[in-house]
Amino acid sequence: MEKQHHIDLKPGDVAETVFLPGDVHRAKFIADLFDEAEFVAHKRQYVTYTGTYKGTKVSVTSTGIGCPALAIAVEELINVGAKNFIRIGTCGALQKQVRLGDVIIASGAVRGDGTSREYFPLEYPAVADFDTLEALIAAAKERGVNPHVGIIRAHDSFYAESILAGGDYLVKDKPWIDSGVLSTENESSTLFTLATVRKCRSGTILIPVGHHLFPDEMISTEQLSDAIKLETLIALDATVKLKQKFG
Amino acid sequence: MTSQDIHSEKQHHIDMKKGDVAPTVLIPGDPGRVELFASLMDEANKVAEKREYITYTGKKDGVPISCTSTGLGCPPTAIGVEELIRIGAKNIIRIGTCGAIQPFLEPGHMIIATGAVRGEHTSEEFINMEYPAVADYRIVRALIDACEKLHLPYHLGIVRSHDAFYLESPWALGDYRKRLQPWVDMGVLALENESSAIFVISGMQGIRAGTILASGYSILEEHEEKIHEEENICKMVSAAIEAAKLLHERGLAK
Repeated sequence: MEKQHHIDLKPGDVAETVFLPGDVHRAKFIADLFDEAEFVAHKRQYVTYTGTYKGTKVSVTSTGIGCPALAIAVEELINVGAKNFIRIGTCGALQKQVRLGDVIIASGAVRGDGTSREYFPLEYPAVADFDTLEALIAAAKERGVNPHVGIIRAHDSFYAESILAGGDYLVKDKPWIDSGVLSTENESSTLFTLATVRKCRSGTILIPVGHHLFPDEMISTEQLSDAIKLETLIALDATVKLKQKFG
Repeated sequence: MTSQDIHSEKQHHIDMKKGDVAPTVLIPGDPGRVELFASLMDEANKVAEKREYITYTGKKDGVPISCTSTGLGCPPTAIGVEELIRIGAKNIIRIGTCGAIQPFLEPGHMIIATGAVRGEHTSEEFINMEYPAVADYRIVRALIDACEKLHLPYHLGIVRSHDAFYLESPWALGDYRKRLQPWVDMGVLALENESSAIFVISGMQGIRAGTILASGYSILEEHEEKIHEEENICKMVSAAIEAAKLLHERGLAK
């Protein structure tokens, strides 16, 4: 098989489990937490490292921001042999009980994006893989973290629905805040629908870096770095658990 | 009734007030199935009957569990679920039958829904279609453990809830297979009529909900063999009762 057009990878280049950060520069940060990792490819915003953690093979591929780029990465990663995806990212909190630096594990995602609509009718639910969800929750608890588990909102337009948006962003947020949606991000709805239909596992773990209800608070650089490290270690532990359970 | 006493008054449709149901309520569509539930409990008493809503509350191995029929379809189910939440239900488990649409499903298999396609309109009156109909993971876990304990084969996955039975069943006019093919291709396990509204309403209100369905053969294939439907429904209800006990043991009945 030829190298995939966008991610520049061929079969054998990635593990069955691939972590998906949005941020290009986070791929190396995440790979540095593996026991060992090698740089594999970099084309556009797709940076890939493959390595191992506690004897389990694992890769990381950055997707860039948003569902259009994530869908391309997931399709091409499946073409080269990936079967399990864990998105590792950041988000904007929507609920009072969610604080900056907390850990959020998504059970499902509001499909506020355009990409997943092009694939599947909107009535189809964006649901995380159950085994991945349970593995992430168990791994978090073993690290002394009590994660927020629930529905998050994925959407396309950051500058229409964020604390940096012009106008009253809370008007747009209100239906989601009122219905208990934990936070907003930009990729999980397409990840969950696409992975489910392609019979792959997918899950999402997120760190809130800003808060829609407390817009003056922002996470510090140091706190963010520690939090990304924590969510990556939780994802790695979950990967080992899934490997032990399903081979 | 004022907005202050909606939680304490007798509810308009289900005809019950706080204290009438256990924290865990099983909700079949069919009012006839409530007595099957009662027969599987150590003790159970009829609490109310109004319209299609029949409720029994009882105990199994010391654990209080209720069963309220909702009638068929999301409109009465949404009413039932809203009113049950208002009088204290914390775990809502739909028990029911379905039209299987995957070739690997057989009579005697259980389907545990992780999510539901929102092919109905009731839930859209609550929140727009972007919101996913997702089962609570703790209920899903309890249903899995219950099936394993009772040695019942089960499948986890997405089901399709919809409104018009006579468009998507073997008795439909026209080519129902063609209408169903996109859902088959997306890996949807089965068709039924209530789970999406249950999951959306529960998700929005922070209540735990799940669904277990007794499967049959795929409705896309011809099968001559006699299906022991009643026996399989009985196993499915037993699994839901077992799950209710597990939720109680795990401190999830509050």
